[in-house]
Amino acid sequence: MTRNIKVLTIDDEADFCFFVTKNLTQEGMFDVIIATSGKEGIELAKNEKPDIILLDLVMPDMPGEDVAAALKEHAATANIPILFITALATNDDTGDSKENKIGNNYILPKPVRTKKLIETILNILRKPLP
Amino acid sequence: MTTPFPRKKIIFLVRLAVIITTSYFILFSPSASIESKTYGYIFIAVYLLTNLIVAHIPEKYFYDDKLFYGLVLSDSILLPAGIYFSGYVGSDLYLMYFFIVLLTTMGSRFKYLMINIIIFSVIYGWLLYKNGYLAGPAALSYLIRIPFIIVIAIFFGYLVTTRLKDKDRRLGEARERYEQIVQATDVLMCIVDNDGKFLFANQKLVKFYGYKDENSFLGLTISRIYNGDETKVEKFLRYVRSVYQNNDMVQYESYDKNHGMWFANTLSPIRDPSTRDVIAVCIISKDITDRIEKEKKLTDTVELLRATRDQLIQKDKMAALGRMASGIAHEIRNPLEIIYMGMDYLENNLPDDKPDMSESIEKIFNAVNRADNIIKNILAFSRQTVSKITQLPLNPLLDNILALGKPKLEKSGVSIRREYSDKSLEVAGDHTMLEQVFLNLINNAADAMKDCEEKILTVRAYKQLVAEIGYKTGYRRVDFFSVGDEMVVVEISDTGKGIPEETLSKIFEPFYTTKPANEGTGLGLSLAHMIMERLSGTIDVESLENQGTTFFVRLQPKSKIIDTKEV
Repeated sequence: MTRNIKVLTIDDEADFCFFVTKNLTQEGMFDVIIATSGKEGIELAKNEKPDIILLDLVMPDMPGEDVAAALKEHAATANIPILFITALATNDDTGDSKENKIGNNYILPKPVRTKKLIETILNILRKPLP
Repeated sequence: MTTPFPRKKIIFLVRLAVIITTSYFILFSPSASIESKTYGYIFIAVYLLTNLIVAHIPEKYFYDDKLFYGLVLSDSILLPAGIYFSGYVGSDLYLMYFFIVLLTTMGSRFKYLMINIIIFSVIYGWLLYKNGYLAGPAALSYLIRIPFIIVIAIFFGYLVTTRLKDKDRRLGEARERYEQIVQATDVLMCIVDNDGKFLFANQKLVKFYGYKDENSFLGLTISRIYNGDETKVEKFLRYVRSVYQNNDMVQYESYDKNHGMWFANTLSPIRDPSTRDVIAVCIISKDITDRIEKEKKLTDTVELLRATRDQLIQKDKMAALGRMASGIAHEIRNPLEIIYMGMDYLENNLPDDKPDMSESIEKIFNAVNRADNIIKNILAFSRQTVSKITQLPLNPLLDNILALGKPKLEKSGVSIRREYSDKSLEVAGDHTMLEQVFLNLINNAADAMKDCEEKILTVRAYKQLVAEIGYKTGYRRVDFFSVGDEMVVVEISDTGKGIPEETLSKIFEPFYTTKPANEGTGLGLSLAHMIMERLSGTIDVESLENQGTTFFVRLQPKSKIIDTKEV
């Protein structure tokens, strides 16, 4: 049996973390750990080495870009794919948007349904859909 | 040399005085015989008669020197005649003569006075001699009368004459001075009456209107001078008449087209010294062209600064709005996300034996979608902060946009017509902004024709000269187009169901839409309107129900002078 996909969710919105945990766990494929601040998330990533990190962009202690940059710095976490889930995306290509600033193609705009979330995670990890 | 004395009045009064005094002497003299008294009465009657005649001669004849001195001379002869006929040759009645001298000296002509004295003295001397007064015991005393008359008359005459001459001279000097001031001055000066007739004009004014000298100018009316310019004449006369009415000064500024000069005009009343009524208006016009031009430059600079400042404030505002919108979007989307995830959970965990259950869950998801759409559009709304206005070729732009919209149009069975008047049409704009506007209009057109038989979308592009005043079109500084400017018009026309007249004015309001809730947000046209404002253009609509709708998008052919290209 292949082990479950370990997902680390870093988002200051506690209720979002709550539901992500509930819904992904219910799928049966995922183990979810959560952090509600950037710093906490970096520590958790270093220690738990998740398969994928779901990252919010706007957080009070540390903006998402900085968290991503910090993760890239540490050898342990540098290769973990990051999926940004953010309320700021608009699906248009105005040159000034944050998407281009991140330089990372994995972005999901909020609000997103669980099904889409799972699809995207599996796509990123090149795992087949169930 | 004119004298200020009202000659007729004085002559009449002096003669009257002569009559009265003479009458007194004659009537109350004790030594007179009845006969001489009779003659006395006759003399008085004749003299009175002559005075009555004098009273009826019109005033102006008295200023004819010949008549005046003729009158005085005849008086000088009448008096001795009267003295003789009334038998008072020896009496002191001759002293009446000095009243007549008074008359003569009014004329201030010493020459005539001398003639007068000599004639009277000769006649009186002859009378004295004839009546034998010059021989006999009292001869000396009678003889002395002649030189007495002469000397006193000369002295009196000389005194008055020099005083008058003095006064005249001073008047003349004062006049000379004022004349110099008026002629040498820098301003245009004139005096007009109620009808705008020139009573006086200084050299500068005469030359200004191209006349040779004052003589050819005086007597002309203002309508002759402002040849044909009726409004100018009207305005001028109105001011002149207001001075007459209000008995007060008035000031106004005017522009002379022929010379291209601005003047500050001061109109002051000239009043009759006794009645204080206005009898003429004095106009002084000062050249203020320089000042006006400087003012205009200043105003222009201020306007430019103001416009630039307003643009910067607007940019600031939009940036702030952008930040606020991002904040709002973020704050709302997070809860929406939680609702989504929550609904997912409930969907998975609630018993689905009730058919309404999944339907309700679907409805909740739709509602969240709608909310999210609004957020998307608002974000797009506020994100237009950075765009560059450049010169864009219009036809390729329109073709591009039609290509973008083609799939949807073809699917709906809409045929496209293009009518571009000119291959090289150019507009000042931003590609993305224009794309947004036109795409929106094209999509709206397609939607409007959904249930129609005839589905034709026409896109026209042409140049037009601004001929009338309208929205953002006119002579004001805030207007985008001035009358006489050129603008580029793009028409997007459909043969759809049209827009009823009552709602026509509302379609550009944010969130106004006739589509069902999950199909449109009602922000498209409002956004288009806002974009057009940014591009200094306008968007208009004409529509007939069940026939079709046409949107008119008017654009600047060239970017405006204001240098800040970022909007």
